[in-house]
Amino acid sequence: MKNERAFEGWLRTLIEGRSTRRDVLRRGLLLGMGASAVGPLLAACQREEPAPAPGGATPPPESPAPGAGTPTMTGTPEAGTPPPAERQVLNYGANAADITTLDPHFAAATQDRNIVDMVFNALIRYKPGDSSEFEPDLAEEIPEPEETADGKQVWTFTLRRGVMWHAGPQNESYELTADDVVYSLQKSANKDRSAYSADYAGMTFEKVDDYTVRITVDPPLSPTLFLPKVANYNGGFIVSQRAVEAMGDEAIKTHPIGTGPFRFKSYASKDRVELQANDDYFRGSPRLAGVQVRFMSDPTSRELALKSGEMDVVGGVADSTWVQKINEEPNLQADVFGVGEVAFLNLNMAREPLNDIRVRQAILYAIDREAHLAVFGGPPVAESVFSVVPAQFMPGGLTQEEAEQAGVAYGRDLDRARQLLAEAGLGDGFSLTLVTSEMDAYRKNYEVLQEELREIGITVELDVVDHSTMHRLIREDVNPIVIYIAFRPNADVYLTQFFHSDSIVVTGPRPNTNFSHYNQIDDLIEQARVETDPERQEELWKQANIKILQDAVGFPLHYINQVYGRSKAVDYGHEVKSSLALYPGFTEQTTVQR
Amino acid sequence: MVRYTVRRLLLAIPTLLAVLTIIFVIVRVAPGDPATAALGDYASEEAVQALRQRMGLDRPLWVQYVRFLADLARGDLGRSLITGQPVIDQIRHVLPYTLELTAAAILVGLVIGVPIGIVTAVRRNTAVDYVGRVVSLAGLSVPAFYLGILLIYFFAVRLRLFPALGAAEFSKPGAHLHALVLPALSLGLIEAAYVTRMTRSVVLSVLNEDYVRTARAKGLPERVVLFGHALRSAMIPLVSLIGLFAISLIGGSVLTEEVFARPGLGKLMIGAMKQKDYTMLQSIMVVYAFIIVLINLVTDLLYGVVDPRVRYE
Repeated sequence: MKNERAFEGWLRTLIEGRSTRRDVLRRGLLLGMGASAVGPLLAACQREEPAPAPGGATPPPESPAPGAGTPTMTGTPEAGTPPPAERQVLNYGANAADITTLDPHFAAATQDRNIVDMVFNALIRYKPGDSSEFEPDLAEEIPEPEETADGKQVWTFTLRRGVMWHAGPQNESYELTADDVVYSLQKSANKDRSAYSADYAGMTFEKVDDYTVRITVDPPLSPTLFLPKVANYNGGFIVSQRAVEAMGDEAIKTHPIGTGPFRFKSYASKDRVELQANDDYFRGSPRLAGVQVRFMSDPTSRELALKSGEMDVVGGVADSTWVQKINEEPNLQADVFGVGEVAFLNLNMAREPLNDIRVRQAILYAIDREAHLAVFGGPPVAESVFSVVPAQFMPGGLTQEEAEQAGVAYGRDLDRARQLLAEAGLGDGFSLTLVTSEMDAYRKNYEVLQEELREIGITVELDVVDHSTMHRLIREDVNPIVIYIAFRPNADVYLTQFFHSDSIVVTGPRPNTNFSHYNQIDDLIEQARVETDPERQEELWKQANIKILQDAVGFPLHYINQVYGRSKAVDYGHEVKSSLALYPGFTEQTTVQR
Repeated sequence: MVRYTVRRLLLAIPTLLAVLTIIFVIVRVAPGDPATAALGDYASEEAVQALRQRMGLDRPLWVQYVRFLADLARGDLGRSLITGQPVIDQIRHVLPYTLELTAAAILVGLVIGVPIGIVTAVRRNTAVDYVGRVVSLAGLSVPAFYLGILLIYFFAVRLRLFPALGAAEFSKPGAHLHALVLPALSLGLIEAAYVTRMTRSVVLSVLNEDYVRTARAKGLPERVVLFGHALRSAMIPLVSLIGLFAISLIGGSVLTEEVFARPGLGKLMIGAMKQKDYTMLQSIMVVYAFIIVLINLVTDLLYGVVDPRVRYE
């Protein structure tokens, strides 16, 4: 009542023209009119000192919609391709705020990989929806390697004829040749022009003729390690020499020119990327008119847009209860597929008291895999894994049987854990401080670990920080135990980055993500890397994984699958088991029947 | 009035400088590494390092600050650290969406709030008044983004009357307005609660004025007293308060744009925050600052226009 009288008094002064602007603002804000975020805060900062409206800048005109070229090749549409008028645009709500880069040789974020996958091709490709199998892409077939007299390895690729580049703002459509392939692979190998140059160390590329490319590898690699380098992943994507030279490396980040089933149409920052069908695609005209990628970082908005029918496919929520909820909708379907990110423990063997193997083993015996699975609602989103290298997705990982046979499956055994701690002279327990990201997947796993360790007398204090801060801090070696969640394309990358002594954080010659300071399997990793017999190579990787578990420096908690929601009107055109592009895969065979 | 306007514009310079400095510092002391944030967990160390270099984050802070001010003085808002595109282009693309949403929400707020405010004032302490006050209190208590989700659920998902995504191209005016309805209601209904409360209080206050009593004593019909005398005076403070509503709504649009996946300054800003896009973030905040300063100035000037008793000195 008192406030109401004061308010009315103020109104009276206002009506009588005796109130100042300052007073109006102050009281208005006190009344709660400016409760919402930035505007009022700024208003409060600087009221009464206005300035001219932003102006003076004369921005360049908006970019015209690209892709208006006139392709010179007519594709051979697949039987059953609907005429263009009937084709639909697929609306995809991506779990992202924006693209980072559409230069395939830098693309790493999920949304970037999704778009790059639709626009570009590579010499070979992972079968759509199945990252365990390769098939030819721009190459006519997958070649067998040849050994040269000087011990090098040669892979010779014969290119398809008649593959046309998308027309761009500064290039007409033209036919792909060996020049493009050599140029592109050389770009991938150049550390200034690619984030994946290290993958191409020891490789040279040459044009034999317009449709033949020779790649020389020294030292030789097994197909398991070589083929991903020329597949549709990371540096393997082939870019157009003419387009990149004409536009420059900077411009292709937001205007990619490829040979894929969809070509770039437009980009609106923080809003959308539009792709349109490439009717000259060498596998046939797409059955979609295009794909519209909307950036929707709010999960509720994505879900509601899917339910309202405005989105055909959306990035989901990594939780099995979300999957169940979507599947209960009559017209919707949740898709859960690999590749999965593996969540695993890294125990720092250089730090007391974890430098005692009994302490590390005690920690592993305290872990309850089921409790960690429950962080994501259990299967199908999260599944158990028995080595850091996930056997489900790549050779070199351990299955449950193999881990049990080798005696490294562990399993929760609190008595044994306490006994090991007692033997190590730590029967009264000890304390650890661990930094965790605020992201649910990390924070919840750390919280479960905190509870597990409490039961064997180890007190864990958690310090929750911003996600990227956590990444910085763990690379500064602050955590005696690091939970890391990652996917890497093959066992060699997993083992090298996380368990080779070169990669030890801070002190290693090439510090990367070896948080455990482990240095006992360098020889196995290096042997496996140059082993050209795939079976022998896989065996070496398995040995390395067993040793990691025996020494209790790394321990897999689970892997987390990709989760998407889609309308049942969408048919991807392939079964989705796993995808390195981290989305279900939209190809020339994908349809929407609304 | 011209001298007053010029003086106000000049006075804005040091304030803006202080705001810009605060913006620059806040954006940089925020925790997190932009390169890591931008590339995500799948990125290799090599990719993160390459992006960090490309972003120029290794340069000294003061160099970045001087460059920021110098560029701003030239009207150059810089390029996005992430995509390399000119920030001004991106802001220019989304600004109309935010301004349009704000204007539509003000309209909703006034169209709903003013009549209810008048009715509840005229019928003070009746059932109508109580209902109006409870509803407006409820409106004040609901966050705009939550109301947005409820509106989407009922009107887009269940009834399918409006789209869940709150924007269409300007080139399609019908679809554009259709898509604007829910976001405008989401913001405007809450603003209507404020307007209702303000209008009620202003009208109540005016109704107790001597000249209103005199008009009644003269035997004028209540309709003439209300519309011919009381409301004309009551509208003066409301007009000046529209500026405040606009500032509040521009701020409130941040989450509304995110919920409706609608282009706008707010969505741009949230995206920039998530990606740690320093250039983009500080430029958006600069634009916000300019807009708010401008609204303040216009409101001040308008205040004098609607109320002749105000003199600019």
